[in-house]
Amino acid sequence: MIDFIFSRHRPLALLATAVLAQVLLLAFQIKREHDVRLIRYWADAVVTPFERGGTWSFSRVGGVWSGYIALRGTRAENARLRAEVDQLQLRNRQLESQAAEAQRLSELLNFREAHPEAPMLAAQVIGASADPSSHTIVVNRGERDRVRRDMAVITPSGIVGKVVEVFPNTSQVLLIDDKDSGVGALLAETRTHGVVKGSGDPDPRMDYVVNDEKIHAGEVILTSGEDRIFPKGLLIGSVSAAAPGNPFQTIHIQPAARLDRLEDVLILLSRQDLTPKKTDESAEVPAEASGVVQSVPAPSSTVAPAAAPTKSSAAPKTATHSPATPAAPPQPAPQP
Amino acid sequence: MAYALTTGAQSEGNIEVHKYYNGSVIITAFLALFLQAFLHKYGRWSELVDLPLLVTIYFGVSRRNPVTGMFLGAVIGIAQDALSHDNPIGLFGIAKTLVGYLASSVGARIDTEHPASRFLLVFLFFHFHQIVFAIEQRVLLARPAPLFTLMLLRNSLVTAAFGVVLFALLDRLRRSS
Repeated sequence: MIDFIFSRHRPLALLATAVLAQVLLLAFQIKREHDVRLIRYWADAVVTPFERGGTWSFSRVGGVWSGYIALRGTRAENARLRAEVDQLQLRNRQLESQAAEAQRLSELLNFREAHPEAPMLAAQVIGASADPSSHTIVVNRGERDRVRRDMAVITPSGIVGKVVEVFPNTSQVLLIDDKDSGVGALLAETRTHGVVKGSGDPDPRMDYVVNDEKIHAGEVILTSGEDRIFPKGLLIGSVSAAAPGNPFQTIHIQPAARLDRLEDVLILLSRQDLTPKKTDESAEVPAEASGVVQSVPAPSSTVAPAAAPTKSSAAPKTATHSPATPAAPPQPAPQP
Repeated sequence: MAYALTTGAQSEGNIEVHKYYNGSVIITAFLALFLQAFLHKYGRWSELVDLPLLVTIYFGVSRRNPVTGMFLGAVIGIAQDALSHDNPIGLFGIAKTLVGYLASSVGARIDTEHPASRFLLVFLFFHFHQIVFAIEQRVLLARPAPLFTLMLLRNSLVTAAFGVVLFALLDRLRRSS
């Protein structure tokens, strides 16, 4: 009977045997909580090398993909990014330039606000002389802006020059380092008068100071007001070197204003003297910062002339002035 | 192109039992198990297709021998259990043993060369396999397991569609008579 069943339904009997065996295997694992580690071990041992190889192959293919194929658009992207960087650099330079301009204009505005008593006009430097030996600049203010000849041109740092030619919309300014320029000056400490003139060299010189005067490097030089162009007390610069000469000392001056990099200037519309702001802050701020110097402490070191063959007096006059000139009542200032 | 989809004992004599190149069944079964385990780490999309089940069905239907189909299913299922690491050995084994046996039995009566019949066959066997698997888990392991969900339906459709393509590729392993 059993033989008949197995011969007639042999596949079915095998199926039942196979299923039963697996059920028993399952029951064994569940009942004893015992894992069939041997089968898992064999399966793992067979598959793991292939999995490692597959992982390695995938990583290589992924590397080729990401390193080569996926970089197809990199050249175009690189060019686009480079163009973007160029644009941003250009934009950055524009912003830096605008920031510098804003800083300059802010200084001019502060200077104007610090001296409301003196009418002044802001102007922009738009050109310079075509003659290399002539130190002149052209500003964008002219006759229509009430600019006249011999008006003083300054910056918050120091004086610049004077107006020599006036056109309807522009003016030509002779810088203080031009050989035709002359500015009445005085040494801030000794109150010795002289004339600051252009010499053809980059630095102007101060003439008519006798050899007996003890001049030291760094000494501040101010306008004396005797030229009837610059108000008294404006900063011209400082002594860079002094040596005895015949008949006067040779004094080289470092201008306070950067005459070779002028961009914005102020044109004084009158000869009204400038007085420093009477505030606590101004007492602590160096006098040069406001461009107007009224009094200077005694020198700590001097550059004495080596010899003083003659004791001639300065051409204009050598005198000691009172520190401050009383400010005149403010005049109505024309608007720039 | 003529596909034979005949039923009945009378037609058994017309149904061709396909032979395969030596080692092709073992290599294919191994590749299916390996890829199922290997591709799983690259994303859950590999869960959409049950490659060992497809191989069990294909060779069961093609060889048309219930005993060899059953043993192939048992081996593939046990190996799948061994590689799954969280199933006790026998869960997939029993399910695929039954699938292999039934696929061989069906293959002995129905000539399933048409893509539509293959699609339907895989679809049905997928759910049969899932039902057996769920019953095993519920009865033997006391684990909750769904008999049917929409996700299983989606997986069955994807597996059936993939099976049609895979079967056409595996047909190339047949030895010409």
